[in-house]
Amino acid sequence: MIPLALTGFGAVSPLGMGFEAFGAGYDDPSREVFSTTSDLFDLGPYPGARVAEVRGFDAAKILGDKGLRNNDRLTKLYLVAARDALAHAGLKSGGAWTLYGPDDVGVAGANAYGSLEAIHELNLVARLEDPRYISPARFPNTVINSSLGYVSIWDDLRAFNATVVNGPAGALDAVGCAAMYLASKRAKAALVGGGEALSELLHFGLHRTGMLDGGAVSGEGAAFAVMEPLAAARARGATVHARVAGYGNAFESPEGDALFAPSSLALERAIGDALAEARIEASQVELVLTGASSWAPMDAPEAKALDASLPGARREAVKARTGETLGASGAFAMAVAARRLASGAAKTVVIPALGFFGNASALVLRRAEDE
Amino acid sequence: MTPRVYVTGMGVVSALGLGRRDFWQSLLAGRNAAAPVTLFDASNLDRNIAAEVKGYRPEDHLTAREQRDVGRCSGMAIAAARMAVADAGLDDAHLRSTRAAVVIGTTMGEADMLSRIDDGWIRHGRASVTAQDFARYSPSFLPLHVGRALGCRGQVLTLPAACAAGNYAIGYAADLLRAGRADVVITGAAEMIEELQYCGFLRLGALAPDRCQPFDLNRGGLLLGEGAGVLVLESEAHAVRRGATALAEVGGYGIACDAYHITRPHPEATGTVRALREAIARSGLTPDEVDFVNAHGTATRANDQVEARAMREVFGDRRVPISSVKSMIGHTMGAASAIEAVTCIETVLSGVYPPTIHYETPDPECDLDVVANVPRRGASDVVINNSLAFGGYDALVCFARVGRLPPPSDREVSR
Repeated sequence: MIPLALTGFGAVSPLGMGFEAFGAGYDDPSREVFSTTSDLFDLGPYPGARVAEVRGFDAAKILGDKGLRNNDRLTKLYLVAARDALAHAGLKSGGAWTLYGPDDVGVAGANAYGSLEAIHELNLVARLEDPRYISPARFPNTVINSSLGYVSIWDDLRAFNATVVNGPAGALDAVGCAAMYLASKRAKAALVGGGEALSELLHFGLHRTGMLDGGAVSGEGAAFAVMEPLAAARARGATVHARVAGYGNAFESPEGDALFAPSSLALERAIGDALAEARIEASQVELVLTGASSWAPMDAPEAKALDASLPGARREAVKARTGETLGASGAFAMAVAARRLASGAAKTVVIPALGFFGNASALVLRRAEDE
Repeated sequence: MTPRVYVTGMGVVSALGLGRRDFWQSLLAGRNAAAPVTLFDASNLDRNIAAEVKGYRPEDHLTAREQRDVGRCSGMAIAAARMAVADAGLDDAHLRSTRAAVVIGTTMGEADMLSRIDDGWIRHGRASVTAQDFARYSPSFLPLHVGRALGCRGQVLTLPAACAAGNYAIGYAADLLRAGRADVVITGAAEMIEELQYCGFLRLGALAPDRCQPFDLNRGGLLLGEGAGVLVLESEAHAVRRGATALAEVGGYGIACDAYHITRPHPEATGTVRALREAIARSGLTPDEVDFVNAHGTATRANDQVEARAMREVFGDRRVPISSVKSMIGHTMGAASAIEAVTCIETVLSGVYPPTIHYETPDPECDLDVVANVPRRGASDVVINNSLAFGGYDALVCFARVGRLPPPSDREVSR
């Protein structure tokens, strides 16, 4: 991996909009965003359930009301977070490029169930009314990559556009994917991150599969970081919030018939590869931003892998504040990591991500000055 | 040192046959797979033709567990992957490795699994939807199922890049090998026809009434198809060490985004032109060295015009032979550029261009050397596979005869 820097963040979260507000909300224990009510759907059929919802989110207030009518919620979350990140990194101001140009900037973003709601919506039309009534304007939303396609359209990003789907590991894999593209000079900078939008079907799915047992909360939001070669970031005088030092991923084939088969061994291997790429020892890692969500079938194998790989590092569960944001979770963890690095709370942070079915990824972020 | 990347095996599940040889022979015979839709009731729709995969029987390719747990899309991906692995002569020792990765593209993935959830939700109430139903739906399952079937332990990744997904996956897989992050990558894409997609394309006015006529003046749109195409890619060292036969070399690839419209390509073909030039340059070649182009060639008015424009822009007056197998197998959406990668490599191997059937009246707006109706022999050292997609995606991959491309160190592209 070439030396890479994260030079700006954008976030849309119930904890706050924008990097600073998100971080402040995240660190403010009095700010409680888990709720037993939802503005999006009726939580009545799910007694005791809580959601972490971006209440009152109105993309039109931020982006203007032209052109958003047929976009789904995930697209709007993406659009606001992406624009925010480009401005925060200083690549754009007032919507205009201040540095680089359209051909120079790409985007790699994750979601876990991106088109779920759009497909569900149109399936309802097809089955309850008539397939011939499907809205052609809404149909593109059923294509998983369309939300990220809109990001390129709205912000005129003409280099690569890569949607990555890999459950909770997706946003880290988007970083790995973009790192490869940047190394082969397919762009000068890239937005990397992910998003997930709450819907009744997604909440139902998490509930039905038991993923909300033990107090886990279904969440939503989007976050992007601007990633660019460290040398270029320094040359332009950018603020380097974090250095992307290592990335690893692994897969261990599930045994048996379990619905979910998280693999602690895969996570151990992913962490090991990420540390090796970062050329650091496990003992140098001070903080792990875990993916723990309070759902034991995932939390236990993650803890087992961390006990084996990073026994001495402090652990902080980002989802305890954001809820389970799936494709966005790795991106929110990167924003938290940047905050911890900036405050001096840690010099090296590992973000692990355990997939549902044998896959796992890990990312190492370090302070720029500790190169 | 950056390694060369070779294709050492191919598998395909298509409406024109299973396995690369049957598929290729059917293409050369100019067979048309379009037929009335049988996967769902299309009797009340304005269109009822598609290129369905009818010869695929899950029990012939999948284990009992796989037949129970995986959707049609993953099933076709697994079947094509097993064919590719057999074609490559890869044994378990090479597959069950932390250096064996899986990268698969798609548009909607396990669409039938979600359809099942929606059917239950709508017709019988949400209580009828089981945990198994939901747990089995995820676009990320395609490579996970393939990885599990083959025992791979390296990276598994889904790249849902709509109708450019195959080329996105193949390009990324080649990058993994060049970066030294894997020794072998199982890559490609899969897609199935679902009623929702069919009706969506119908509502977009994109479906042809009866046949697919790429680049023809009277073309009436696309026909939907389905299937899976999977390649085994290996680093040169890995292929040589195990004595594999390299079918073709993966050259450079180009990716760009039009950033123009979610479904329509940029009318000036800006993204396609950029990505095409990039694919050629990253192969260490010039446009004069390209022998044949496998077109995206959907037979929609906008696509074919844009593609013709890009060809003129990059190749100038040199009329590079071009063909669209979508005239025979339909538009297999996310699987398209993966299945068509198989045809590109067969062209590299055989020196034969597959035909564009139903080509009757040249369109002055598509002033191209279309391989019309019958296959043609010609130079085939360097073949480009083109794809465009929803989201404004442009992705092109170059395949070349083994030994034709300069060393990777001479292909550097600076930005």
